[in-house]
Amino acid sequence: MDKQEKINEILENRNKFRSLDVAVLEDYTEEPIPDPSPRFTKLMDIYYVMKNTIDMEYPYWYNRYWWQNEGDLPEIRRAKAEAAALSHMTPTIWPNELIVMNKTKNWRGAFCFPWVDASFFNAQAEALLAEADAPALAEADRMSVVGEGGGNVTKSYGNIVSIAQKFGLRKEEIPVLVKVARFWNTCSVEVKTQEYSELIPEYYKYKAYRDSVLVMFDSWAIPQGREVMNYYLPLEYGFDGLIELCDEKVGEGIGVVEHNDGLLGMSRGYYYVAMKEIIKGLSQWAEGYAKKATFLASLESDPQQKKDYEGISVVMHNIAHKQPQSFREALQLTLLLHLATVNEDPQSGQSIGRLGQILQPFYAKDLREGKITEEEAIELLELYRVKITSIECFASSGVTGGVLSGNTFNNLGIGGLNHDGMTAVTPLEYLIVEAATRAKTTQPTLSVLYDEKIPEDFLLKSARCTKLGFGFPAYMNNQTGMNFMMRHYGEEGMNIDDARAWMLGGCLESAPCCFQPLHYDGKTTWIPGGAGPTSGTGVHFTGLPKVLELVLTNGVDRRTGIKVFEPHGHKLDTFEDLWDVWNMYLRECIEVSLRVNNIQMDIWGKINPPVVTSLLKPDCFTKGQLETSMGARYMGVHNFESCGTVTFVNAMTSIRKNVYDDKKYTLNEMTDAMLNNFGFKTAFETGVFSPDHREATEAAPKYEKIFYDCVNAPKYGNADKYADQQMVDYEDFMTPWIYGLQNCYGKNYYMCQISVSTHGPQGAITLADAGGRLAGTTYADGSVSAAAATDKNGIYAVFESATCYDHSRNQNAQMNVKIHPSAVKGANGTRKLLDVIRAYMRKGGFHVQFNITSSKTLRAAQDKPEDYRDLMVRVAGFTQYWCEIGKPIQDEVIYRTEYDQ
Amino acid sequence: MKHYECRNYLSLDCEKGMCAIDKAIVPIDGEGSDACPRFTDGFLCKFCKNFANADEHGIGTCSGFEQKDWAYADCGSFTCEKFNRQ
Repeated sequence: MDKQEKINEILENRNKFRSLDVAVLEDYTEEPIPDPSPRFTKLMDIYYVMKNTIDMEYPYWYNRYWWQNEGDLPEIRRAKAEAAALSHMTPTIWPNELIVMNKTKNWRGAFCFPWVDASFFNAQAEALLAEADAPALAEADRMSVVGEGGGNVTKSYGNIVSIAQKFGLRKEEIPVLVKVARFWNTCSVEVKTQEYSELIPEYYKYKAYRDSVLVMFDSWAIPQGREVMNYYLPLEYGFDGLIELCDEKVGEGIGVVEHNDGLLGMSRGYYYVAMKEIIKGLSQWAEGYAKKATFLASLESDPQQKKDYEGISVVMHNIAHKQPQSFREALQLTLLLHLATVNEDPQSGQSIGRLGQILQPFYAKDLREGKITEEEAIELLELYRVKITSIECFASSGVTGGVLSGNTFNNLGIGGLNHDGMTAVTPLEYLIVEAATRAKTTQPTLSVLYDEKIPEDFLLKSARCTKLGFGFPAYMNNQTGMNFMMRHYGEEGMNIDDARAWMLGGCLESAPCCFQPLHYDGKTTWIPGGAGPTSGTGVHFTGLPKVLELVLTNGVDRRTGIKVFEPHGHKLDTFEDLWDVWNMYLRECIEVSLRVNNIQMDIWGKINPPVVTSLLKPDCFTKGQLETSMGARYMGVHNFESCGTVTFVNAMTSIRKNVYDDKKYTLNEMTDAMLNNFGFKTAFETGVFSPDHREATEAAPKYEKIFYDCVNAPKYGNADKYADQQMVDYEDFMTPWIYGLQNCYGKNYYMCQISVSTHGPQGAITLADAGGRLAGTTYADGSVSAAAATDKNGIYAVFESATCYDHSRNQNAQMNVKIHPSAVKGANGTRKLLDVIRAYMRKGGFHVQFNITSSKTLRAAQDKPEDYRDLMVRVAGFTQYWCEIGKPIQDEVIYRTEYDQ
Repeated sequence: MKHYECRNYLSLDCEKGMCAIDKAIVPIDGEGSDACPRFTDGFLCKFCKNFANADEHGIGTCSGFEQKDWAYADCGSFTCEKFNRQ
C-alpha cells in the first residue's frame, strides 16, 4: 500500500469512528452509533428504578458543627460545618462504577437546607409528626405540576413521605428533620431576609406579587447556581498544596492592613482560615471514598470488580491530596468539586463549563503515554454522564417542579474560542460528543458555542447528536455571547481575553469567565472557568402577559382577588396609554422586587456565605475575599427574568390591531371576552394545558367573532413587521432601563430572557389574552420562539422575527424549534440541520435548541409513560425525562409547531 | 436485623438498597427486608459505644467527641472518626 493509500485508510477509519462515513459517497449514509459500554448500561438499568430521596446525614452534621462553633466568624463557622457534613456522609460506591461520589449516600439523593429555609420543613414535618394533613403549599408550589413518573415521589406511601412533590423521605427521619429545623426557626436565611424586607414600606406589594405568582420565587430559595464551575486551583495545586498556601497567607496577612483597606484587609486572614477548613473537608470527603473502596474490595470475590474497587481507592486517595496525574483523576476531581459546590446551597444550574478544554492536557498526556485509549476515555465520559444525571436539587416544589421541571442544568460547553482567539475545539471534545451520542442520559446537556472557526466535522458530529432527539447539543452564538460580555462587564475590566472564555451558567445564562494558566505535562495551558457568582438571580420570573392582564383589570388579580397594583384609573383611550400603564406597573413590580431581592442576596451572603465557591472563583483566593464580599472578578451578575415575552407581544399586537387601529372592538369588549375566556372552558377545567385545546361552552357563540379576530391578528414569528415591531419596542424600552438598576453589589442589572418551565405555572395563573391564548394554558416557551401553531411562514420567518433586535444587548434570547425526524434523516439531514443552525447564527440569533421528535410519539408517551421510561425531550434550555415533566409542559411541547420536510 | 443495618449494605434510595456481596437489590422494610445469615453489624451510630439513651424516635446522645451532642441511631458512621463498635 503506498503512502497516499495509507493516509486515506487512516482518515476513513477516523471518520468512521466519528460516525461520518464519507467513503460512501452516493448514498451518503451515516455509520451506526456504537452501543454504550456495558458498565454504563448496567448502571442505567439501576438508575431507571431509583427514587428521588432526601436523607438527614448532611443536615445533621452541618447543624451539629455550626452550633458547636457558635460565636465564631460566619465564614469559618460555615466552612467547618460544610467540611464536617461532607466528610461524615456515608460514601456509597456501586458495582460497575469507575467514576464515583454522589451528593449523598443515595443515588438520586439530596437533602434539605433548614439554615436557608426552615419554615417549609417545620410546617410539613410538624403536621406529619402529628399525623395531620400537611398544610397548603405556597401559591407557586400549588400551581406547579410535577411529573408523576420516573424517580419522582409525588405522593407518600408506606414508610415514605413525599416532600416537595418530588422526594421521598423515610418516616423514621422526620423526627430528625424536625429537630434540626427547629434550630433554624428564627435565624434561617428565609426568616432573616423576611424580617429586613418587611422594613421596606412597599413590602406588602411584593407579597401581592408573590401570592398572585406574578413573580415566581424568592432569591434565597436558590441563591447559587446558574454560574460556571472553576476547577483551576485544585487542578493546579492539589488540596495539600492549597492548604500550604492558606497557611502561608494566614501567616503573612492576618492582622495586616494594606493600602487603606481596613475592613477587607482584616477579613483576609479569616478568609484563608476558612478556606483551609473547607479544603480539609474536601480532602477528607475524598479519603472517605478511598476507604470505602478499599473496604468493598476486601469483600469482593469477582476479580474484575475487586480490581475496579482497588483502582477507585488509589484515585480517590491521590486526589485527596495531590494535583491529579491522569485524565481519570482530573475528571474525578472535577466531579468532587462540582458535588461539593451543589451541596453548599439549594441550587441548580451549576454549569460544568468547558470540560473538554480544561481536561485536554490530562487526556493528551495519558493518550501519548499509552495509559488510556479513546474507547476507555469514552467509557469514563459515559460513566461521568450517569453521575451528573443523578444530581438532584432540593427546593420547594414551586422551584424544583414549577421552574426547573426537576432538572439541575449541568451544562457542558464545547467549542468557542480559546485564549488565542482560535478554535477551542479539542480532541477530547469529540469524545464528549461521542459519549453523549452513545450514552442516553439527560445530563450533562451540551452547548456548542458556535463560531465560524469551529471545524466543520465537529459541527456535523454535534448536529448528528442533536438529531437523536435528546435535545442537545443546543447552539449558542459565540460572537454574540462575547459581545454581551464586553458590553456588560466592560466597566469591571472585561477584555477580549476574558470574553473568549465565556460560558453559559445553567441552561442559558451567559456568565463571565476567564482563562487561567494550568501547568501540567511541562506545558502551560490556558483553561477557561467561571469568574462570577450566580448569573441567575435578581428579580425572578415575572409574567409579562399577567402584567397586561392587570392593566386591563385595573390592578386586581381576578383569579385570586388580590389587589396587586393600585388602580391606575387611566381610560386607556390610546395604544400609547395602554403601553405607558403597562410600563408603569412593570416598573413598579421590578423596583419593589429588586429591593427585596437585594436584601435576600445580601443577607444570604452575610449569614450563609458560600465557602466552596469563594475558594474556587477567581479572584477570591488571590484577593483573600469571599465571593459575597466582592471577591469574584465580575459581580455585575444580577438580572431581571421575564416570562411570556412572545405571548405578551402577540397580545399587545392584537389589541393594537383590533381595538386601536381597526377599531373593531372597544377595549372593554376585549377585556370582557378575555375575562370570559372567549366562551371556552379553562385549562384547569379540561385538564389540557396546550394552547391549541378548546372546549366551547354555551357562551362561545357570543365571543366567536372577537376570538377569530384575536387568533388571526398578526403574530410574532412570521416576519411580519407589524407584530415584530412590538418586540423591538419592548426590547428598546427594557434594555436601557434595566441596565440602570443596581444589584446589592452596586453593579448594573441586565435582561435575562428564558422561560425554563415557568411558562407552565405562570400561564396557569394568567387569564385569556388578546392573542387568542386561553386561560391557564402555557405561555409561549423561551423568549423568541413563536407561540405554538402561530408561525405560518416557516422556520426562516421565525428566525427573521427573532433577530429583529440585537441579541448581544442582553444575557440571552431563547429559541426552541421542533423538527420531525423525517426532515433530518440521513447524512444529508445532518447537513440540513447544520444549515438551519448556521442560518440563524449568521443572522445574529443567540440560541437555538431542537426537539427532533414527533408529536405522535409524545402523545403515545403521554398515554403510556411506562413504555417510554427513557424518552427525553428538550423543554426550554434543558433536556428532561418525559415521564418526570408535569402535564402542562408536556402539553406545551406536544403542541409546539413541528417542522417537517 | 434488617439488610440496611448490615455492613454489606449499599444505599440506593428511600425504599431499597443493594447487597455488596451478591449485588441483589433489597428493600429497607417490608417483605424481603430481613437480613441474611451473612449479616454483620453495619456502620451506624446505633452500633457505636459512644451512642446512648435513644428515645422512641431513635434520637440519643453522642459522647464520642469533645462536646457531647444529640445523634440519631440510623445515622451512618463509616467515616466517623470516633466510631467505636460495641
